[in-house]
Amino acid sequence: MASKPKLSMYWASSCGGCEVSLVNINEKILDVAANFDFYFCPCLLDTKKEDVEALDDGGIAITFFNGAIRTEENEEMAHLLRKKSKLLIAFGSCAYEGCIPALSNLHTKAAHFKSIYIDNPTVDNLLGIVPKHETQVPEGKLTLPAFYERVRTLSQVTDVDYSMPGCPPEPARVWNVIEAVIQGKTLPPKGGILGAGNSSVCRECGRKKEDKHITRLYRTYEIIPDTEACLLDQGLICMGIATADGCGALCPKVNMPCSGCYGPPAGVFDQGAKMVAALGAILDIGEKKGISEDELIRRIDMLVDSIPDYSGTFYKYSLAGSILGGGRA
Amino acid sequence: MKIGVYFCNCGSNISGKVDSEQVRQALSLNDVEYFKTCELMCSDDGKSYLRDEIAAEKPDRIVIAACSPREHEKTFMRVLSGAGMNPYLMQMANIREQVAWVTSDVRQASLKAAALIKGAVKRVAFHKPLEMKSIEMSPDVMVIGAGPAGLKAALTIAQTGRKVTLVEKRAVIGGQPVLYEDVFPNLECAPCMLEPMLDEILHGEYAKNIEILTLSEVVELYGFYGNFIAKIKKSPRYADMNQCIGCGECIGVCPVDVKNEFNNGLDNRKAISLSFAGALPNVPFIDMAACLRARGGDCRLCDEACPLGEGIILYDDAEEMVERRMGAVIVAVGASLYDAGLIPKLGLGRLPDVYTSFEFERLLSSTGPTGGQLLTRSGRTPGSIAIIHCVGSLDANHKEYCSGICCQYAFKFNLMVGHKLPDTQIHHLHKELVYPGKEEYFLYKRAKENPNAVFTAYKDIDTLRITAAEDGIMIVNSSIKADMVVLCPAVVPSKDSGKLNETLGTTVDMFGFFEELHGRLDPVMAKVRGIYIAGACQSPMSIQQAMTQGMATAGYALSGIVGGKRLEIEPITASVDADRCSGCGVCALVCPYKAIGFDEQNRKSSVNEVLCEGCGSCVAACPAGAINGNHFTNDAILAEIEGVLSCLNQG
Repeated sequence: MASKPKLSMYWASSCGGCEVSLVNINEKILDVAANFDFYFCPCLLDTKKEDVEALDDGGIAITFFNGAIRTEENEEMAHLLRKKSKLLIAFGSCAYEGCIPALSNLHTKAAHFKSIYIDNPTVDNLLGIVPKHETQVPEGKLTLPAFYERVRTLSQVTDVDYSMPGCPPEPARVWNVIEAVIQGKTLPPKGGILGAGNSSVCRECGRKKEDKHITRLYRTYEIIPDTEACLLDQGLICMGIATADGCGALCPKVNMPCSGCYGPPAGVFDQGAKMVAALGAILDIGEKKGISEDELIRRIDMLVDSIPDYSGTFYKYSLAGSILGGGRA
Repeated sequence: MKIGVYFCNCGSNISGKVDSEQVRQALSLNDVEYFKTCELMCSDDGKSYLRDEIAAEKPDRIVIAACSPREHEKTFMRVLSGAGMNPYLMQMANIREQVAWVTSDVRQASLKAAALIKGAVKRVAFHKPLEMKSIEMSPDVMVIGAGPAGLKAALTIAQTGRKVTLVEKRAVIGGQPVLYEDVFPNLECAPCMLEPMLDEILHGEYAKNIEILTLSEVVELYGFYGNFIAKIKKSPRYADMNQCIGCGECIGVCPVDVKNEFNNGLDNRKAISLSFAGALPNVPFIDMAACLRARGGDCRLCDEACPLGEGIILYDDAEEMVERRMGAVIVAVGASLYDAGLIPKLGLGRLPDVYTSFEFERLLSSTGPTGGQLLTRSGRTPGSIAIIHCVGSLDANHKEYCSGICCQYAFKFNLMVGHKLPDTQIHHLHKELVYPGKEEYFLYKRAKENPNAVFTAYKDIDTLRITAAEDGIMIVNSSIKADMVVLCPAVVPSKDSGKLNETLGTTVDMFGFFEELHGRLDPVMAKVRGIYIAGACQSPMSIQQAMTQGMATAGYALSGIVGGKRLEIEPITASVDADRCSGCGVCALVCPYKAIGFDEQNRKSSVNEVLCEGCGSCVAACPAGAINGNHFTNDAILAEIEGVLSCLNQG
């Protein structure tokens, strides 16, 4: 038993879907158990932080770290697991690029606390009590892990060996990675991406791509899209063109536009900016010659204003790691 | 990597505002191996200094901090080449136009210059040694359309010894003007004016260089600049172009009468016809749809009438597909007139004596249906003629532009009618009157001086109403009596130009005219490299303008592709990493040069290096990051930005 390498999986600021995805490799989990000592996973196992601290540095072969860095505890665990792991893998979109938790970077910590603990219609909080890092009570000082001003990705707080995109990473891709490690295959250079292709979702999407001149954008509830034609061609903002492949184009296959959870394709730094640049080419405001500047602006505004939520559309997963990073308010 | 910086003082142009010592101190030695100043880098002394420096220092990369690269990048690239260094391993920092000339404070200017140089240093490290490529090209040219513009282009190119294939849809060459009696502004006889040029094309010294394909259409074009291949469909003429002498004996004996499209159906022609008197090439053609032979008959009357004997009339002549290779294509397919029938109150097609301006040209022409006699349909001499300008022009419901030529030919009509029928009243109804240019006003003045002419402005074509009165007389707007009404419709793209545009892969503007690369700088270049556009297919224009454009296209074709030379391909192009391309097609949408092709089989885009101008639009737009811009890689651009910012932060 002792000779088996140790595997750990930790959740920081996340939803638990990544753990589900690991379990969804189904019977292959037995292979994982046969090859690894599944040592630490708060969601599934009873081992504690102390058990990890007791290990030698580098005592864990692989740690799948999911979740973004929202609190002091998240960061502390990131540093601890970094120290104890040979390979630290940012597992899933939250750890890799911030994902949904990082959309909170559009607002301040104070604003979050106000809406959650004070303005929230289901909360009665007449004294206006909000969580504090330290609270003095008669019995002494109580502490909670600090809630940071901003959400960061794992690689923004510690050194990461690889990242696996996806919300969550597809089980088949998860197994590919585990299998590669079991078989001792050569992994890409440090800092690279595991479990994704080197192109975009369109490569895996069988829809017919034809005329990309979009004169009107639709939200998903507004139309029932044709099942054969490219969703983007039909005016739905499908992020597939600016999203790494690897998921198997699952969403477009069930007539839903890609929302971009696999992050930017290889060679693209900022997924949202890339999508906006591409939309600049695709959105069609009609004939431009002989049209007044005011009319041009009106037409552009009309198209752009029909996008309800810029950040939630273009940076749903990648805000923390993007050039913009978030809001400043 | 050994990076050397050369700082050009540019006399006092730069050194007067930028302190090179301050710049030197701002640059860290980690980035730069050496930093040298030079008095005037672009002078002969400066250039030989740079040449010697390259030999002595053997740098890996060079930054030249001097003027705008638009001024001397090529100069210094040539010096690098001459010194045996790849010219793309150099980057210029523009510290004259962007710093010295626009910054008054020396400290600020020096800081800015240092930032730009630091950016250039960081960037140049990513430069790759790029090589020019070259491919073979064909010096031949295809001209589509044998009107004034196409003929001018064809003849000009042929005069240099180059081969031209002249493709004309109709049976005759000369375009529209050969159908007019006189042309503005000087009322010259159009056929007489054009005849020497047509003759030179058909029989002149350079005729051997021009292959004329009449009754022909380009049905396919593939390849690219320097190496196009065109498929041309040649309809049968049923007469031997080489042997027929055009005596016309065959025509008189033909028993079939059909409406003559050259006279807009105002008279009849035979099934075998010469179109009109003086038509060139002077060889009749058989309209097989009308010929008795097409209806199962065995009529041989035309063949039997031929004084040259058998074998001139070719009943077995058949449609043929020919293929020609060429380096450039000139499109000069002309224009046509807006359908004035779309404004029903004007009565075209309903009232017999309402004519389009083209029909009226034929009525005035000595080769026209009435031999040039001005008569109404019922054979009366008109006592009053109403000429309606701006029909469908300057009108948001029809065509919003001014066609520019209609006023001129309307004034011409005024004078020609005056010569033929001195007592006939002429009413000009116009929305606007235009006469720009050095000759045009005088024609207006002469028309205005015609004592029988009345000019009346109208506001909106919808307010005009032409109604029939007694004895074939018409009433215009309940006050003007007219025996004839002439409509001057907007000039619009010819019917087939949309189809041809698709065949050629070019673009058309919002009105359907062939679209130019740049309205002012390159008004005769299409957006596809190697395809040029001349004459009224690009915009409504006069014969003079069409000739000028024909000449301009010839200039491009002659200077761009030269016999015996290879086509050099700039290495600053985009290239698609096929491995990363997902075939989404966004790149092709943004390419202004039609340089991006799509491989349907592998579902991947690719960039044609000959057509690519290296603008970078596709690089920015590619959402998969699969397109790389040579010499402008993301790495290089980001490094440059970082370099600039790092220096500014220090300040």
